[in-house]
Amino acid sequence: MIALGLSLIFGVMKVINFAHGEMMVWGMYVAYTILVWTGIDPFFSFLVSAVILFILGYLLQRTVVNRILDFPEAMQVLPLVGMAMVFENSARIIWGPDYISPQSRFALSSLSVGPLTIDTPRLMAFSLSVIITILVLIFLKKTDMGKSIRAAADNRLGAFLVGTNVNRVYAVCFGIGTACVGTAGGLLVPLMPLSPYIGAPFTLISFIIVILGGMGSLAGAMVGGFIIGVAESIGPELITNIFHGVGLDLDFPHTMKQVVSFFILIVIMLLRPQGLFGGKRG
Amino acid sequence: MKKKMNRRAFLKYSAAVGATTAISGFPAVLRAQPPEIKIASLQPVTGVISDIGISMRRGNQMAVDDINAKGGIKSMGGAKLKLLLADTEAKEEVARSEAERVIKEGAACLVGPFLSGNAMTIATLCEQRGVPFVMDVAAADDITRKGFKNTFRVFPFTTKFAESMIFYMTQIMKEKNISKIKGVVTNTGDLFGRVQGATFVKTLKEKNFPIEVLAHIEYPLGIQDLSAEVSKIKAVKPDVLFPVARPGDAKLMLRELYKQRVELQGIISPGSPGWYEPEFIRDMKALADYVMDNVPWVNPIGKMYKDVNARFSKLFPGKYIDTNSGYAYLGVLVVADALERAKSTKADDIIGALKKTYLSQDLMVGLAVTFNERGDNINADTAMIQIQEGQIKVVMPSKAAEAKYIHPMPKQLWDRGM
Repeated sequence: MIALGLSLIFGVMKVINFAHGEMMVWGMYVAYTILVWTGIDPFFSFLVSAVILFILGYLLQRTVVNRILDFPEAMQVLPLVGMAMVFENSARIIWGPDYISPQSRFALSSLSVGPLTIDTPRLMAFSLSVIITILVLIFLKKTDMGKSIRAAADNRLGAFLVGTNVNRVYAVCFGIGTACVGTAGGLLVPLMPLSPYIGAPFTLISFIIVILGGMGSLAGAMVGGFIIGVAESIGPELITNIFHGVGLDLDFPHTMKQVVSFFILIVIMLLRPQGLFGGKRG
Repeated sequence: MKKKMNRRAFLKYSAAVGATTAISGFPAVLRAQPPEIKIASLQPVTGVISDIGISMRRGNQMAVDDINAKGGIKSMGGAKLKLLLADTEAKEEVARSEAERVIKEGAACLVGPFLSGNAMTIATLCEQRGVPFVMDVAAADDITRKGFKNTFRVFPFTTKFAESMIFYMTQIMKEKNISKIKGVVTNTGDLFGRVQGATFVKTLKEKNFPIEVLAHIEYPLGIQDLSAEVSKIKAVKPDVLFPVARPGDAKLMLRELYKQRVELQGIISPGSPGWYEPEFIRDMKALADYVMDNVPWVNPIGKMYKDVNARFSKLFPGKYIDTNSGYAYLGVLVVADALERAKSTKADDIIGALKKTYLSQDLMVGLAVTFNERGDNINADTAMIQIQEGQIKVVMPSKAAEAKYIHPMPKQLWDRGM
């Protein structure tokens, strides 16, 4: 979901949202606040996170991003890195610096299927992510706004010439991207402790996923996310087993599991620079 | 009738006011003010462990305020301490640049910085600049084994942690009639985590202690998913988990152990944060019970502890003096004591005084603070604490114990009605 939002924003505006992880943390805090105040589980309140993050994203696009669209790429980075710091530190001021693990209804539940243990909140988050991704795809394919977004992504000037309000379309698109990350934040509350500073690694990992899947490809973001998730989980053990299999007494440390992701990224960049699902650009 | 103020009148009045104030002695009071002594607090106030960093800065600041309230540094005419605040962001490069900044701003001594990696960088810089550095918390052995002349550590070092852990485990195994324990050691991948985990495993081997380490698992600091690591723990079926953690991953670990139904007789940390903070107990509720941690804890019967803790808890509701805020407070006391005896803010004088430190205290377990030739506090010690019904209790050593330890855990994590 996080990579989906990043990919959508990049695909349409060619801007990388470096505040993405920090906005996800805001999504987490919104769901957490609702849980504490009303007792509503994050698996329901993620919708509120999505709405609030949509509004934040919409406003951010109109006030900051829209002004930097024509800047050179290197110059687009700074305002969004600055926004990331604003989101991070304002979260610290509002909710404090402590790691918080709220007790939600599903946080500790798991299912046993034979020898397998399935983490219920992870399963629910995964299922909801798939459903929401499909809904976003349907929205982009079937609705007028979706078609306008695709038109503006394809040819900004052309869309403008046929009367599309490109600024509004961009703002809605940015809002949908940040709503996706807000949704992800809500769904992550039962899975991990939240603190204002956990956002940056998510921006990095979703960036890798987006490049792997193909910049701007939504299906690519899903598949890329799946590949990276599995690779980081089982990669170190698999490599250790390979080491042992060839007679080397070496363990591949779990601290280096991101090496697996970056290795996959380098291989993909060498063999298929446009990413798994990225189309060739003329 | 209004009288217009002209240049002559203005000069006349100014001279009169000047003379009056000079005679009255008001400026003399200002002149008699002793100079302010700047010391710096370098803590990770933002970044991955900002919760601990803030707690430590509060400890540093409270000690400075207490010293000033009691009349400052009396041997220097009651000079007040001024705490320069610096944020290391838990990053080595920032720790160095912030240390550089506070030295330029005139800090006579630096205090901090919780993270061993940060401490190493600051200690190196202080050695180059000839500025004294008092580590309130930072445990990695190596820092004081580099031959630094300006660095002093109030906190116990990792070998001390491992030795205390062996001492407490010996007592548990003897009293519970356990001949052998199969364990898994986990640690974060930062300098402290790596050194703490490795030193514990090395000490077990060196002493041929009957704890068999089935697996030693390391994971990155700030990790967000421990499912793969906990699967590995479950696969080797240990009796006891020996985790070296940080606040975020401690909670993650406990939840994952619950979800994967990992059967354990105990969770006993060789010494790390994560298991005693108020947020850990608040969020984990019954899951936190029976966790043990070998930490340089507060002295529950100490007069100084009772006084400081009462005021700290009042000032910061929901918080209490723990390992980190306690040592942060003590670190500043050590600096103030050295300044008092040095009667000077010159680096050599302060370092000379620090070397001769003998500061009685009953804030933390252990005896008076005094440094060996390496700069380590030889009297720093740890206590074994355990969470029992949501309360932290010192369970060992017996002279400071508030309760008897409970081992093995009477209920597995998933049997606690959560």
